[in-house]
Amino acid sequence: MGLIGSYNLRSMIVRKGTAAMTAGGIAMVVAVFVMTLAIAQGFRATLVASGSPQNSIILRKGATAETVSGLLRSDVPLIETLPQVARGADNRPLASPELVVAIALPRQTDNQNANVPVRGVGPKAFQIRDAMTFVEGRQFAPGTREINVGRLAVGRFKGLGLGSDVKFGNATWTIVGIFTADDAAFESELWGDVDLMMPAFQRIGYQSMTVKLADASMFDSFKAAIESDPRLYLKPSREQDYYAEQSQAMTTVIRVFGTFVTLILSIGAVFGAMNTMYAAVAYRTREIGMLRALGFSRFRIVTAFLAESVALALVGGVLGCILALPVHGLSTGTTNFTSFSEVAFKFRITPALLAGGMLFSAVMGAVGGLLPAIRAARIPVARALREI
Amino acid sequence: MKFIGLVLKGARRSKRRTLLTVMSVAIAVFLFASLRAVLDGFNAATEASSSTRIVTLRSTSLFFSMPTSHAEGIKSTPGVQDLTWANWFGGVYKDPQYFFAQFAIEPDSYLRMYPEIELTPEDRKAFLDDRTGCIVGDGLAKRYGFKVGDKITLQVGIPIYGTRDFDFNVRGLYKSGGAAVDNQSMFFHWKYADERSIQPGQVGWFVAQISNPDQATQVATAIDEKFANSPNETKTDTEKQFQATFVSMFGNLNLLLGSIALAVVITTLFVAGNTMAMSVRERTTEIAVMRTLGFPSSTIFLLIAGEGLMMAIVGGIIGVSLARLIVTPDLMQAGAFIPVFGVNNANAVMALLLSAGIGIFAGLIPATMASRLKIVDALRRVA
Repeated sequence: MGLIGSYNLRSMIVRKGTAAMTAGGIAMVVAVFVMTLAIAQGFRATLVASGSPQNSIILRKGATAETVSGLLRSDVPLIETLPQVARGADNRPLASPELVVAIALPRQTDNQNANVPVRGVGPKAFQIRDAMTFVEGRQFAPGTREINVGRLAVGRFKGLGLGSDVKFGNATWTIVGIFTADDAAFESELWGDVDLMMPAFQRIGYQSMTVKLADASMFDSFKAAIESDPRLYLKPSREQDYYAEQSQAMTTVIRVFGTFVTLILSIGAVFGAMNTMYAAVAYRTREIGMLRALGFSRFRIVTAFLAESVALALVGGVLGCILALPVHGLSTGTTNFTSFSEVAFKFRITPALLAGGMLFSAVMGAVGGLLPAIRAARIPVARALREI
Repeated sequence: MKFIGLVLKGARRSKRRTLLTVMSVAIAVFLFASLRAVLDGFNAATEASSSTRIVTLRSTSLFFSMPTSHAEGIKSTPGVQDLTWANWFGGVYKDPQYFFAQFAIEPDSYLRMYPEIELTPEDRKAFLDDRTGCIVGDGLAKRYGFKVGDKITLQVGIPIYGTRDFDFNVRGLYKSGGAAVDNQSMFFHWKYADERSIQPGQVGWFVAQISNPDQATQVATAIDEKFANSPNETKTDTEKQFQATFVSMFGNLNLLLGSIALAVVITTLFVAGNTMAMSVRERTTEIAVMRTLGFPSSTIFLLIAGEGLMMAIVGGIIGVSLARLIVTPDLMQAGAFIPVFGVNNANAVMALLLSAGIGIFAGLIPATMASRLKIVDALRRVA
């Protein structure tokens, strides 16, 4: 640390009021930064968690989302029987033809109707997504009007408790189980038997099919097999890629917005830091003169004041991160515009995000402190010593 | 008022500091006004929605359509004067990233019921006469360089419309005469899409014109009762409610943008308050001399508080002017999401009031500090 280090640290403590205010300003900026990016992070994590590396989702060629895709009944056996598809204990292929539509349900928070995804699934669906576990109740029995609901959907929409009846598609469905899926998008959905949902929603085909591959490395040969079959106008994707792509647009919007707002806001905070550091330099002109007279080089003075400013900003950064932390895990929701239905997700603050916040605060401190530090180093020794 | 010269003098004492403070307030006010503009933009369509139009959807959700035969049932409901319908087309222009809204509308009645779609009589006639014609908003036209006479090709987005691309002739550019209709959309003949649909005769939503806005709820209930227990049950809402569900789709924007605005204000309070405190501390001797000369402590208080207020208001004016210049639909491409986008007068006034508030709060503590100075102590202190 040395003399000069402790000197700067101690003078920061002397000016604790000013230092606290400056750090406070930086803390707010960092808090906003971390919180907005936590939204993007959470949204992305939710969608990405929906995909498994061993799974493949098959959509119509050109379809960007399940809701605008279509898959014929006759396509199903052609895909199921491919050798790359894994098989369950009963030697039946682990493949689930699915139908996704949205129904309007009122939100708990504002009572406005939202588009809640309803997924009709095949009997193997729960085996294909291995992260799915039931927290309450049991899996729906195929061939009955029973449904399962994701945990996040239960909290977000009205009337989705265990045992309650939900009316849609001219029928009444009973909720017999509530599941979690590692915070994946499935937790915002209602799941039921696809063969009952199709007539209920007056559909004649499926929309997508998800299969578990015997091994993740088989994807390429699986893809080649489907694309070379002239009867199939379909495109398989790795499930992870598909969901990552789904999150792309929304995550980009939030990131751009968050960065734009925090950047502008940070200019204000940098001005604040600059003010503080200029004042610090002015107060201590004599001391700086003394240090220079003792033989400290200009460069040492610049680095010392820069370090002081960065340290001050880092204190703000830590404060900001602490301020932002309580939002971690809060659940909220937005519409996934590629599927036009609502996805519930949780704010997600990752260590990398916190590190980003700290780095951002350090940059603010360095930018704010640079000019005042240069000014400090330029003070002529003789004049500085004379000053009162 | 006579002390204004002194306040100015005080502000000029450290020009750099005053400038930095003014600029940080300006930035805060700019951000605040822009955030408000975004929020207002989202809510504009809801605010401007007509009270005499009600929207009928399938009760399941807007993903589902209903047969055209519903038109008769709705039209014959007492209180309904006029009726039109539309479908969401969801076509893809070149690439999914070039997104804009396309509506297949029943052209005659739709244009009649939405006077917000402003078209010249010639364009209107040209559009109505051309089965494959379309009209596009002037904002959208600007974004993609569409001109009257152009051909727009859309790939099918929703499988129900087959696989063949749709070609449209641009027959007119419309202006938006109210936030209920944005200028970022494309409208074309419902028949054109319907004749190629796998499942013809389907309507996404009906819009009914009602004679008395006070009866909206009764008429809506009457319509829904007509179709209750049919395979195509409906849900009818006011246009306002219909628009509000779209706004709420984005999530809790009010809370998100509100929290950011609050953080902006707090940050600025920290910065401005800090500066004022610093400048008071620096001027301790000066203030003591003024007190000795006979300035009452209340004047000192006003001088310091006035300085804070002045800096904040100057910053506020700069911030608002910047926001007015920059946050306009031309410069900020908010795309199809925010139809009306700009800092209106109410926003500007609010932002200015905010800056004044910041000035008052930031100056309060330093001004109190200054007015409470003990003359003897202050005179004795060295810088």
